[in-house]
Amino acid sequence: MEVTLKIRRSPDGASHTTETYTVEVPETATLLDALDAVKDKRDGTLAYRKSCRMAVCGSCGMRMDGGAVLACKTAMKPLVEAGHVPTISPMGNLPVIKDLVVDMEPFWAKIRAVKPFLQTEAHPAKEHLVEAQVQQANIGKEALCIMCGCCVSECNSMESDPDFLGPAALAKAQRFVGDQREDDVARRSRLKDLNGAHGIWDCTRCYFCNQRCPKGVDPRDAIAKLGAQTFRFGSGSEFGAKTNMFAPVGTVVEPGVAHAQVFVDSTRRGGFLDETQLVPKTIGPLAAALDVPFALRLARAGKVPNPLHKHKAKNNDEVKRLWKLLEAQAREQQGLGTNHPSLIDSHD
Amino acid sequence: MQDRYAYYPGCLASLSQKELDSSTRAVCAKLGVELVELESMTCCGAGDIHEAKPDYYLHLNARILGQAEALGIPTILTICNVCTLNLRQANKKLKQDSGELERVNRNLAEVGAATYSGEVEVRHLLWEVSEGDGYERFKEIAVRSLEGLRVAPFYGCQILRPSKLLGFENPDSPQSLERLIEACGAEAIDYEAKVKCCGFPIVLAREDVALGMAVQPLAQARDAGADVIVTPCPLCHLSLDAWQQKAEKHAGRPLNVPILHLAQLLGAAAGIREDELKFKRHVVRLSSEVQDKLLRPQGAPVAGD
Repeated sequence: MEVTLKIRRSPDGASHTTETYTVEVPETATLLDALDAVKDKRDGTLAYRKSCRMAVCGSCGMRMDGGAVLACKTAMKPLVEAGHVPTISPMGNLPVIKDLVVDMEPFWAKIRAVKPFLQTEAHPAKEHLVEAQVQQANIGKEALCIMCGCCVSECNSMESDPDFLGPAALAKAQRFVGDQREDDVARRSRLKDLNGAHGIWDCTRCYFCNQRCPKGVDPRDAIAKLGAQTFRFGSGSEFGAKTNMFAPVGTVVEPGVAHAQVFVDSTRRGGFLDETQLVPKTIGPLAAALDVPFALRLARAGKVPNPLHKHKAKNNDEVKRLWKLLEAQAREQQGLGTNHPSLIDSHD
Repeated sequence: MQDRYAYYPGCLASLSQKELDSSTRAVCAKLGVELVELESMTCCGAGDIHEAKPDYYLHLNARILGQAEALGIPTILTICNVCTLNLRQANKKLKQDSGELERVNRNLAEVGAATYSGEVEVRHLLWEVSEGDGYERFKEIAVRSLEGLRVAPFYGCQILRPSKLLGFENPDSPQSLERLIEACGAEAIDYEAKVKCCGFPIVLAREDVALGMAVQPLAQARDAGADVIVTPCPLCHLSLDAWQQKAEKHAGRPLNVPILHLAQLLGAAAGIREDELKFKRHVVRLSSEVQDKLLRPQGAPVAGD
């Protein structure tokens, strides 16, 4: 069959043009096969990465029509049949070196930053560490990562904050935080780091990473697991105080933790989100008070709820009892040890 | 589209985004759809409880699903992307994992809440009116042409991704909003950021990062000549509307794009009055020119006639 591709060409990573190539390929051809044909038959200077050709090595991440794919895992036939001419470009959020080749160094720097190895020194059973099969459910998806960068390419938060650790590094972090062979000292130290600037609370839950990952790692779910463990193991100011409202002077406050805590507290108290508490408890009462023009704009539009008239759900006693019951069950489970299978998080 | 839904407006439409609730009720009344209140509903937990306390999140949502079931209504109607994803995600888990469903029901029963057998579906208003019978019903009530109005659709994330939980349409090239905009007689504007994130989930915890995201759809829609942006999500609405002046400062350029809730756009085309659509409850006000296009008297000649 005949395949036509528009390819974003960039000899130096700075300037670029879009060139159109038509090549003859077998019906079973992937995007990578089509690129090989272009390089072989049309222009030998076309640059792209490849190695295994079977979605294992993670080399051939690139964008097709603006979305990251593995070239070797993308069949051409459906596009040809639909008469569609795809545009092929390099991955996003990483500097372009040439054509479809990006500089992966910023990606690897973030992987290194999360210490991608097991730390077992303080584990009571360090002489005989076994990962129970049931515990694999906690890190099974994360362990599938081939570090192709497709998730990072699409991360909306990273477009805005290039220093955000991002989906690949955070999924890698969960692969170790959630491993029962990791000792608790290391686990707490990791969680403390991940709750800082550019950490898990930078994630905007756009779900592009889950959507694009070619291996089913679901990095957003991994980030949610890290948040759950923050709440399970964190206390007081260890990972950032849980509210910004009456935090003692000098306390480190992680606004992301505080924000989530307001949701938890307000649902068990009244069923609904307490909007009047959300701003001061997340950013602090002083910062909230200083942002008067913003508050006035909202008030003028009728968007500031009356703090004296809380919106309460009917029969919310059920939710209060539910909260107490679940917390008691969680305490009981936690007594079984940090790594008991009942503490496996599932954010699917 | 069904004649009767268990109505789940969620927190924002019950609190700061009340105009979304009143517009939805008015549109559904015109469509001949009965919205039955879920009297004891709570927050779905948003992404926050889902992340921080996943088991509490699962139970909160099971309790909401159980309330719809107790009413004998098979479908919950949502008007918020985040509620849609949360309820569908919990629902899928409870439907697929009988052990989890049994455990959750044991806990719900212990606190005296309605249990859930797994027979409820969760659908967003956008999905119900953009295809099939719902779309035909809408075209019948869309008596006031919004011709001349240029509308930029903004989907928001959690009605598109992850598609394995949402799956209504292609998350990279959705068309449901465009279809409805055209059914209103208005013109749909195409722009790249229509499927990207508005930044709302982190707008308090990481305001600068969030504003960097919000600027993209606002700037692109304005540059493409949009009169308004329309969104099916009240969180996207709040981010793009309430934080717009901050986004202007962040970007160092004027934006000034009014944001409409989906139900407001549908309501305007259905000839519903301003006092139900409540455009005045927006931080970025409609210009008189746009207001004229949206609230033109029924049957009045349009520009160029």
